[in-house]
Amino acid sequence: MKVFIEPENKEIELPRRPKTVLSLLNKLNLRPTQALVIRDGQLLTPDRRLYHNDNITIRLVISRG
Amino acid sequence: MKCRRCQKQAVVALPSHNTAFCADCYLLFFKRQVEKAIKDHKLLTQNDKVLVAISGGKDSLALTWQLANLGYDVTGLHIDLAIPDSSEKAREITTNFCKKFNIKLKILEIKNEGLAIPEVKKRIRRPVCSVCGQIKRYYFNKFALDHGFTVLATGHNLNDEVARLLSNTLRWDTAYLSDQGPLLPAENGFMRKVKPLYRLTEFETANLCYLVGIEYGFTPCPYSSGASFTYYKQLLDELEFNQPGRKLQFYEGFLKRGQKAFKLLEQKQGQELNPCPECGYPTSGELCGVCRIKKMMGVMK
Repeated sequence: MKVFIEPENKEIELPRRPKTVLSLLNKLNLRPTQALVIRDGQLLTPDRRLYHNDNITIRLVISRG
Repeated sequence: MKCRRCQKQAVVALPSHNTAFCADCYLLFFKRQVEKAIKDHKLLTQNDKVLVAISGGKDSLALTWQLANLGYDVTGLHIDLAIPDSSEKAREITTNFCKKFNIKLKILEIKNEGLAIPEVKKRIRRPVCSVCGQIKRYYFNKFALDHGFTVLATGHNLNDEVARLLSNTLRWDTAYLSDQGPLLPAENGFMRKVKPLYRLTEFETANLCYLVGIEYGFTPCPYSSGASFTYYKQLLDELEFNQPGRKLQFYEGFLKRGQKAFKLLEQKQGQELNPCPECGYPTSGELCGVCRIKKMMGVMK
C-alpha cells in the first residue's frame, strides 16, 4: 500500500497493510484529528477499511507560521 | 461510520462533538458553528464592511469563503512579506482563491514599506515570528482604518486560541489574558477585530477546504520552525485525544468565567496607551513597535 504524506511530499510503501484508517494513523504516530486521510478523492473516517492496492494521501493539518 | 443527520456514509468524524457527518451535513455544521460564534459574541452584522486578513493558509481562506457564503460584504487583504519561496506561493494561492470565489482582494507589499521580512530578520535580535506578527497586525489595522472598513476579521481557530490561552496562562500574562477573545472592540486607534472561527479546530477548517475545493498553502513558513505555539498545539492535541471536547470547554470557560477578572485587573494596573507621535498607532512606549523597527531599518528618520 502506498502512502503519500503532505506537506512533506514524501511517499512511503507499507509492506504490511494496516486494516483501517485508524491503524494507519497509529502507525504514523498521528491522532485522528491531526491529518486528513484521502483515497480516490474521498475523505475517510478512522473506521474505514483499507485495501492492498490503496493509494492513500495523508495531509497533515497543523499550521505553523 | 454514518452521518448523524442523514445516515449517509460519513466523511468527517468529530470526536469532540461525538459525531460524524457526510459532506453536505458537514458544511452545514461548519456554517452553524460560525453563525453561533457571530451571534453569541455579536461579532458582525450584515451592514459591516469586513476586511479579512488572508495569509493563503486554510484558516483565512475558509473564513473568507464562509463569510462570503453567509452574505457578508468581505474584502481580503493579503500582505506579501517578501520571504523567498514562501511569500510568492502564498500570494499566488490567495489570488487564485479570490478569483475562483469572486472575492475582492487587496495586496500590500511589505517591501514597499521598507520592511521586507528577510531584511528585518537580519537586523533584529528577538525571534522574527513576533516581529513579523507585529508588523502584520499593524498594517492590517492601518489598512482597515484608512480604507473605511468597519471590522477586521482573522482566521484564528480554536487550536490557535487555546494554544495562546495556555501560553498566556503559563506566564500569567494579565495584559494578554485581559484582551484574549473572539471580539476586540474598536478603541484608541485599534480597529474592531473578530475571530469567527474560534469554535472550529484546524482539522475542521482543513476538512472544509477539502470539501469546498479550496486550494491552500500548507508549506510552513521557513522561519517558523521551533515556534513554541506548535509545541503547545501538540500538547493540547494529546489532551483533546484523551478528553474530547476539552479545548472548546477550556476556552469557552475562560471567556465566561476568567476573562472579566483579568480585564478588571488590567484596568487597574495596566499600562496606559497613547498615540505614537509618528503614526498615531496606540503604544505604551514613546514610539510604536513598527515605527521603532522602521527607524532601525533606516526607512524613517
